[in-house]
Amino acid sequence: MVGPLLDRARDTVKAVAPLLAVTTVLLVALVPPSVDLLVRVVGGGALVVVGMTLLFLGIDLGLGPMGRFIGAELPRRGSIALVAGVAFAIGLATTLAEPDVLVLATQVARASDGAISAGWLSLLIAAGVGIFAVLAILRVVVGTSMRVVLLVAYGVMLALSLVAPTPFVPLAYDAGSVTTGVLTAPVVLGLAIGFSAVIAGRNAEEDGFGILGVVSIGPVLLVLLLGMVLQ
Amino acid sequence: MTGLLAIQAPLTLLMSVVAAVLPLTLVFLVFQWLFLRLPRAEIVRLLKATLVASAGLYLFLLGVGVGFLPAGAAIGEALGKTGSLALLILLGLLLGFVTTWGEPSVRILAEQVDTTSGGSIRATWVVWAICLGVAVATGVGLLRIGHGIPLLHVLVPGYLIVMIVAWRGDSRFTAVAIDAGGVATGPLANSFLLALALGTAAGSGSSDPLVQGLGLVALVALAPVLAVMALGAAIVRRTPPEREEP
Repeated sequence: MVGPLLDRARDTVKAVAPLLAVTTVLLVALVPPSVDLLVRVVGGGALVVVGMTLLFLGIDLGLGPMGRFIGAELPRRGSIALVAGVAFAIGLATTLAEPDVLVLATQVARASDGAISAGWLSLLIAAGVGIFAVLAILRVVVGTSMRVVLLVAYGVMLALSLVAPTPFVPLAYDAGSVTTGVLTAPVVLGLAIGFSAVIAGRNAEEDGFGILGVVSIGPVLLVLLLGMVLQ
Repeated sequence: MTGLLAIQAPLTLLMSVVAAVLPLTLVFLVFQWLFLRLPRAEIVRLLKATLVASAGLYLFLLGVGVGFLPAGAAIGEALGKTGSLALLILLGLLLGFVTTWGEPSVRILAEQVDTTSGGSIRATWVVWAICLGVAVATGVGLLRIGHGIPLLHVLVPGYLIVMIVAWRGDSRFTAVAIDAGGVATGPLANSFLLALALGTAAGSGSSDPLVQGLGLVALVALAPVLAVMALGAAIVRRTPPEREEP
């Protein structure tokens, strides 16, 4: 556990250090000098490095394998209904655990003065991922090409965003972008590849590519639809 | 206000971490009970690692809340108040680039592309394409926020280009490009850019920070897709359509 821990720690420092450095310089240059804020950034930076290291390690050794075990076992069960049901549950569960989703939800809740609840927003985003994970699985069964699925989904998304009330549009697209993060990506990808490998004669790699794009459309559509219903 | 956040955070944060990690663990345990039947030692190991991940998520969110969110908001507010066109674009380019350059998942995707293309698409090109894509997106995104340009005026043309390339271009490249959008920014970059964007909207005197301030992350996810597609088009143009033996 020490080897991977050090590797992860090095990766994290590499990812965080440039941003930390630039943030510090910008704070000094642009913002009225505040020792408090500088101390917070350095302290917060240290917490972030330790936190991300542990998080990635835990995903590598725990949450990730859990998703992969299910992904590997599931297709052997044959029943498409079961596969679809579990794909929904997995998409939902992994998205709820995604750090970006948590941050977006709390920031939006704060910026809207609580008009939008963080918990419900997370759940809506997660449901969007779950529904589209099911669609991605069904696509493998039906054999529609990824190109057609993407074109139709993007088309619907653009059309809806022209019709939906404007205040919901930026939120919808941001919600779509934060979904495919550190946890959802490997697990959902693993599930889809495992599934298509079991369906004989399929190129697992080709089936897996592009799935993240499809999955992140789900939350966009759900938030847009919610906006239209609330209007 | 930021002080209040730091005091109030720990307990609420703990609850959201539990709420975040619990569903996947439960789904897995149900699955284990019904089908998997892994040995007990394996389960204990997985659950321990899940605890490590939860602790990590907690510390990460705490650190982001204490340091990066207020810093991003403060920088954004100062930027928005100046309203300077050049400053918004320049800082956007810089911040977009540095948040992506160190991202491990970008390197991993670039290596994958290098390998699957048999070396005809170098990993370094992919890394540069993604970083430049995010840099431009952040610049355009901040400019959009500072000057109140509607998000759709940028997003609709962008997605139309993606659709046209997806329809006509090499399908394998399209798939890689679309996945590139998902890996470009990690949790820290997304959080920081989000706070920066909301701060810029507030600083530029926007009446509704949610409408004007959100959307940066969306642009940052779209740009690498376009950048990798452009890279693909450039490579296809340079090399003859038949595969050459090296």
